[in-house]
Amino acid sequence: MGREIVIEPVTRIEGHAKITIQLDDDGQVADAHFHVTQFRGFERICQGRPVHELPSIMARICGICPVSHLIASAKACDQILAVDPPPTAVDLRRIMNLAQVVQSHALSFFHLSSPDLLFGFDAEAGGRHLFGVLGANPQLARDGVGLRRFGQQVIESLGGKRIHPAWVVPGGVDAPLQAETRDQILAGLPEARAATERALSWYKASVQRFAEEAARFGDFPSAFMGLVGPDGAVEHYDGALRVVGADGSVLAERADPRPYWEYLGEAVEPWSYLKSAYWKDLGYPDGVYRVGPLARLNVADKLGTSRADEELEAFRGRLGRTPASSFHYHQARLIEILGCLEQLEGLLRDPDICSPRVRSVAGINREEGIGVAEAPRGTLLHHYRVDGDGIVQWANLVIATGHNNLAMNRSVAQVARHYVKADRLTEPMLNRVEAVIRCYDPCLSCSTHAIGQMPLHLQLLAPDGTVLDELTR
Amino acid sequence: MNGEHVLVVGYGNTLRSDDGVGWHAARRLAADPRLEGATVLARHQLTPELATDIASASLVVLVDVSVAGAPGSVSVRWIRPRPDRPPAWSHHLDPEALAGLAGALYDAVPPMAVVSVASTSLAVGDRLSATLERALPEVVETVTRVVEEHRRA
Repeated sequence: MGREIVIEPVTRIEGHAKITIQLDDDGQVADAHFHVTQFRGFERICQGRPVHELPSIMARICGICPVSHLIASAKACDQILAVDPPPTAVDLRRIMNLAQVVQSHALSFFHLSSPDLLFGFDAEAGGRHLFGVLGANPQLARDGVGLRRFGQQVIESLGGKRIHPAWVVPGGVDAPLQAETRDQILAGLPEARAATERALSWYKASVQRFAEEAARFGDFPSAFMGLVGPDGAVEHYDGALRVVGADGSVLAERADPRPYWEYLGEAVEPWSYLKSAYWKDLGYPDGVYRVGPLARLNVADKLGTSRADEELEAFRGRLGRTPASSFHYHQARLIEILGCLEQLEGLLRDPDICSPRVRSVAGINREEGIGVAEAPRGTLLHHYRVDGDGIVQWANLVIATGHNNLAMNRSVAQVARHYVKADRLTEPMLNRVEAVIRCYDPCLSCSTHAIGQMPLHLQLLAPDGTVLDELTR
Repeated sequence: MNGEHVLVVGYGNTLRSDDGVGWHAARRLAADPRLEGATVLARHQLTPELATDIASASLVVLVDVSVAGAPGSVSVRWIRPRPDRPPAWSHHLDPEALAGLAGALYDAVPPMAVVSVASTSLAVGDRLSATLERALPEVVETVTRVVEEHRRA
């Protein structure tokens, strides 16, 4: 008799989701699905609104990565205005985006995933949280809190507030950077870098404990996608879109990533509100690719800063040129934080960074615009169509978690096939199924508030819905 | 710990009517000359990062809405750190857990008060209810009184 295991909600991720694991008649895992159960509807909400409002509206998509939506949206609006933001405005947008990557990666690594990495996946669930980390490794906890605070303070000092800042506008940014603000950010960089270095050292010393998980957590061949600059370095704001295969060979490189419909498809499944993006050349559902920090390291030749590139070289020395396991998203996140901090320093020391010329002003000059940037979790596309008065008629968003959807489903199935046994529903097994999702740091939207405790709930169901077994925490 | 440093944090959701009262109070308090030298922050929620600011303050006053009490009534509650009951959701905290986190991270927890005002409505909306609009001056007066009493002490 086929049966089904349901994990709902999935905890320590951004948003609301559940996992179902389908068992076959022999009690073996036949398939697994990652369901996104929340509905947002921003593509409809924005219809009828003036296009100038969209960056602020779209920033509301998420409370963790609002800057990413702000920037992709503003870039789409730049196209509709047919303007190039002044160079200083581009650099200021870059600074805010890099700070966003730092604080978001810090949340993912330190707050959400470090408990598993510190205590192990078999540890008692009640202690796997930031407070538990604090008790066992206070410096790690302090570094996590400090790094996130640093990134958020940069965003706040530029945008006026740390969540949903409206400083990035069509045509540039709303106000120039003050020298005092620049100096404050620069003063915080050494400690932020030191915290990242400590975390990297700790991670590299710890990771050998998880060889089994690394071999099971989404370890399969797939393509990887991300933006790269003209020198082949990781690019978070602009650049060409590069796709590499499992062996690292370049499958595609598009100088202009904006006509995404030419190379990406978006499939819709009845069991999830999250679309499944796929690489068109490979078809659906075989066109699996991954985005985000691991993908960015895999597609790029380098990070382009000295310390981050040293770490990247060591990373590749240990794991090969194109590591396939999604477990390595964790280390990729730390390496990327280091690179972002180095880039921040370079941008802030540019003598023109406090230039007052930060915005190009224009009316509606095109009826379509597409903005592409790298969010912490991967490539983000905003696509708008407006009428002659700039009123939004249509919008489509392709978000990082959608790019990763097929890979996440495949990863859940891989972990479940190894760890889930029909006659033995255990906490460590459940934690591993959740943890493989956490590797991708999916952002299902944090702009909704979590109220009260979010317990893990697993049910073993017969095809007729009868609950055969049940676990909660 | 900074012996002179007062931190005021108004928090809540400005798109849920009275839940945004902490923000509205923070705006007024930031411009109030009686709080000169104090740091006044407006936040959506209490996050772990605030532990750093708390640990370096001599007094912390949090301003929030309450669902208990007669609508518009203002109350002051002094809190104690609670390090032993961590929340399930690690990027927002209640005041006691935040105080506990500050103590555990930095071994420093100043006196912490929560000034709260009982709500009329937490429905979707970007304005305070008339009741809380009327109560806002009392919220501001209560916060400044707590700070002034601390400074005199």
